[in-house]
Amino acid sequence: MNARALLLLLSLTASQGVQAEGGFMAHLRGLVGLGHKAKTEDTKKAPPRIRVAPFTGGTGSSAQQTLLKELRDSREFFVADADEKVDFIVEGTSVGGRVDGRLRDAKGKDVFRRSYAAPGLDENLKALTDDIIYTITGRPGLATSRIVFVSDHSGRRQVYVCDAEGGEVHQVTHDKFGAVSPTLAPDSSMIAFTSYRSGFPIIRLLDLNLGWERGVTDTPGSSFGAAFSPDGTHIAAVMSFIGNPEIFVSDLSTNTAACVSDSIGAPSSPSWHPDGKHLVFSSDDGDGPRLYTVEVPFKEGESSRLYRWRTGYQFCTDPEWSPDGSHIAFTTRIGGEWAVAIKPYPNGRVHVVQKGGAQHPSWSPNGHFITYAQHGQLYVHDLRSGSRRAILNGYSRITEPRWMR
Amino acid sequence: MMTALPASTLLLSAALGVSLLLTSCGTIPMPSVLGKSTPETVVYALGPREGYTSPLTTSLKPACPALVFDDGGFLLTSSHQEALRSVAKETLEKNKKARLLIAGYTPPNLPADHARSISERRALAARQHLIGLGFEAANLQTVGFGNDFSPSGPSSDVVVIYQQ
Repeated sequence: MNARALLLLLSLTASQGVQAEGGFMAHLRGLVGLGHKAKTEDTKKAPPRIRVAPFTGGTGSSAQQTLLKELRDSREFFVADADEKVDFIVEGTSVGGRVDGRLRDAKGKDVFRRSYAAPGLDENLKALTDDIIYTITGRPGLATSRIVFVSDHSGRRQVYVCDAEGGEVHQVTHDKFGAVSPTLAPDSSMIAFTSYRSGFPIIRLLDLNLGWERGVTDTPGSSFGAAFSPDGTHIAAVMSFIGNPEIFVSDLSTNTAACVSDSIGAPSSPSWHPDGKHLVFSSDDGDGPRLYTVEVPFKEGESSRLYRWRTGYQFCTDPEWSPDGSHIAFTTRIGGEWAVAIKPYPNGRVHVVQKGGAQHPSWSPNGHFITYAQHGQLYVHDLRSGSRRAILNGYSRITEPRWMR
Repeated sequence: MMTALPASTLLLSAALGVSLLLTSCGTIPMPSVLGKSTPETVVYALGPREGYTSPLTTSLKPACPALVFDDGGFLLTSSHQEALRSVAKETLEKNKKARLLIAGYTPPNLPADHARSISERRALAARQHLIGLGFEAANLQTVGFGNDFSPSGPSSDVVVIYQQ
């Protein structure tokens, strides 16, 4: 946990310090990597070309090889050989696992220089990879992103976290009667989850860096479905202490909460728009769960405005807004089985991503992938190519995955 | 497991559907207009939970056979209401201040968060009805376990009323 905490701190510091140049960024933004659809556009929009120069230092050779693999696996770049013309060059030094990385443009001008000192070569290179991706493409990389999920591997449902490839799995809750419904803060520093430690469902916060834990809600009835706002200052969740389950937005600094829904039924699964001003959630008013959006009021005296958002399907749950706010992924039912679908917001055609029992979709930070659970397995689905793979084995029944940077 | 809608509701829904189709994202007032029989007019907030015991921590005795909800919805049927009448009669005759914990459960196949919400909503529907039968609101507590835990008994799509 200490190594992870240091890495997370370094990642956060690094991502805050990175600023890409607007004009060049605009040119590069929106480029896609490999995949069926992308191939037809390759002549117009080639991915950025990048070269990894030999790293000096005792662990330099393995650092260069690992970085090459990370950059190729990201599918954000064309990774060129030594004698090819490129847009960017990565150089660096690695001694004892520490990495000093430098990104230069084609003219040789420094884009950034940064040191990574977590106690692990691979962790440092993942952080460097994500910084390179974010600087050049404007999209977060996935190398340091994390997925939280629920597994009954230990005999009770508990919250676990893993990386985007299913590695570095850690059990983060050990609550007496289990913990469910997890979500990660935008900077991966905290997890909010529903704990059954008292025998009743309450929402708690766990700080992954510092290790402290505290309750957010301990209200009568049930509390669940927590979702961090994009700036990490608020949590949206379902609470029922007023005599009906409703969506509440809670300010984490003051521990106050405001009701933003007006349901006679059973609302669930709130998810924030990246603008931090809107929520989408599911609500069952007696004829199956449907999706609603709400404008969240942040000023005294303002009331929330609710909208029904039609998907064309009668049973829709677990909505999640894509990182750019352009789509919403949700669980629906097709042919008597659960299916994961996405639809452009506010209008557009529904695309069924996976049928046959897939549920609880969650977007990758760069919006290229979706993770979901299907028959207890955790899958990562590439939306560009349509390919998917199960990333975890041996963790019994997995549910409720949530993907965050 | 779709909800079976009464004909009147279907007509209402169809009429509303026309207006909803005019815009896919219009300013539609929330669900209250889409509700069916809107069973309760006054919703009673839950009182403090101190002193209530969870069925997860201790084996609790049910006050009546479990109320089975097999239509996916949360409205009480006439058999639910009959069972609740019996509970109210038997319990309040012995102790006017008797406290009950009403716990909702769902089958494992429902999406987890929806399952928690619908199970809590069913428990609250039973609580509202018991308040109408003479219980004090502060003496009725609810919890929605969804499919996080299974009740004892043949059906998992139930509301169980535990004596405290």
